[in-house]
Amino acid sequence: MSIIQQHTAASLSDAWRTINIDALEEDSSVNFDTSTLHPALPEISEADVRQINTQVRQLLRGGDAEGALRGSLEMPVYNGSDLAKETHLHTVIEVLQSIKASEMTPMLQRIYGTPGGSECLDVLMKYLYKGMAATSAADGSSSAPRTPTRMTPQQTGFSQVGGRPGGANESTGGAMSVLLSWHEKVVEVAGLGCIGRCMTDWRKV
Amino acid sequence: MSQSLRPYLQAVRSSLTAALCLSNFASQTAERHNVPEIEAQTSPEVLLTPLTIARNENERVLIEPSINSIRISIRIKQADEIEHILVHKFTRFLTQRAESFFILRRKPIKGYDISFLITNFHTEEMLKHKLVDFIIQFMEEVDKEISEMKLFVRFSPPNITCNGGPGLTDITQLNARARFVAESFLTPFD
Repeated sequence: MSIIQQHTAASLSDAWRTINIDALEEDSSVNFDTSTLHPALPEISEADVRQINTQVRQLLRGGDAEGALRGSLEMPVYNGSDLAKETHLHTVIEVLQSIKASEMTPMLQRIYGTPGGSECLDVLMKYLYKGMAATSAADGSSSAPRTPTRMTPQQTGFSQVGGRPGGANESTGGAMSVLLSWHEKVVEVAGLGCIGRCMTDWRKV
Repeated sequence: MSQSLRPYLQAVRSSLTAALCLSNFASQTAERHNVPEIEAQTSPEVLLTPLTIARNENERVLIEPSINSIRISIRIKQADEIEHILVHKFTRFLTQRAESFFILRRKPIKGYDISFLITNFHTEEMLKHKLVDFIIQFMEEVDKEISEMKLFVRFSPPNITCNGGPGLTDITQLNARARFVAESFLTPFD
């Protein structure tokens, strides 16, 4: 005798096998509330972010790159809209790109030495990873269907010419190398611990 | 080594060293099971923030850490479709032999060419710094090998087909070469 009392279209198909029943149970580990893992975060609006951006730009124009870096890192956007987060990321990257390579290490050491400097560098590390992820993802999505488009017969004839995205590739490569050299310097100054804190911190930028 | 490759590999090295802090952790959903949490995705609190390290849009590494396992996915540089074929053949050869390669994942995750899965049992058996060295060495060599394999195709004139793509004999040669190179990566695990 079948255990299914009534046959319906739903019970005869296999679709029910794909339901994740763990998610339906309240006590299941899948439903762990990760918001309990970090303190309550103040919400930062886009207007605040834009205000920080103008302040940071003023400091940069005034030649105070260190102040600009500190200013952009002291108020990270943990809780805010995607646009606010994106804008703040651009602010940080702008500051990073305007600082010369020779000034990086002394500046980081000065920031690290001041109270609250270690937290600043953790935030910087978060933005470095976010910057690399965001830039590569943005470009990745545009060139995502790479296999089908590149396999067209027109392009195979001149593979080396057609295959390269050209100028766009170069510019993102340049932006990346800035982030990569900052990454190296931050690890030199603040150690591997700041990568560890960047991974384990639930306050995400 | 080119100018931008060194900071890239250095960033990968430091991130990997920081991420390879694994401990034994039994599954919370199934009793007496012990699964890599990064694959099971059943406990959100033990999954850590994934890290992306990118050199440019075509070359990046994704490190997804969790309490008892990390997943490292590498996107290998592919400038044109010959390189695309070469990378595909190369990674295919390796992934088909994943069981003798311990840390290799059978299938790369979406958007990447090859993935490694390191669990706490691997870090207990093998030396952590050697594992990191292996990944770094793999990334260094693979670019070089792909370029060499490409030259190998280019400099065998009778086999070039009229449209410039690889012909049938080229593919056999590529297979042989890819196999040779892939085998040299397997030797540390013998």
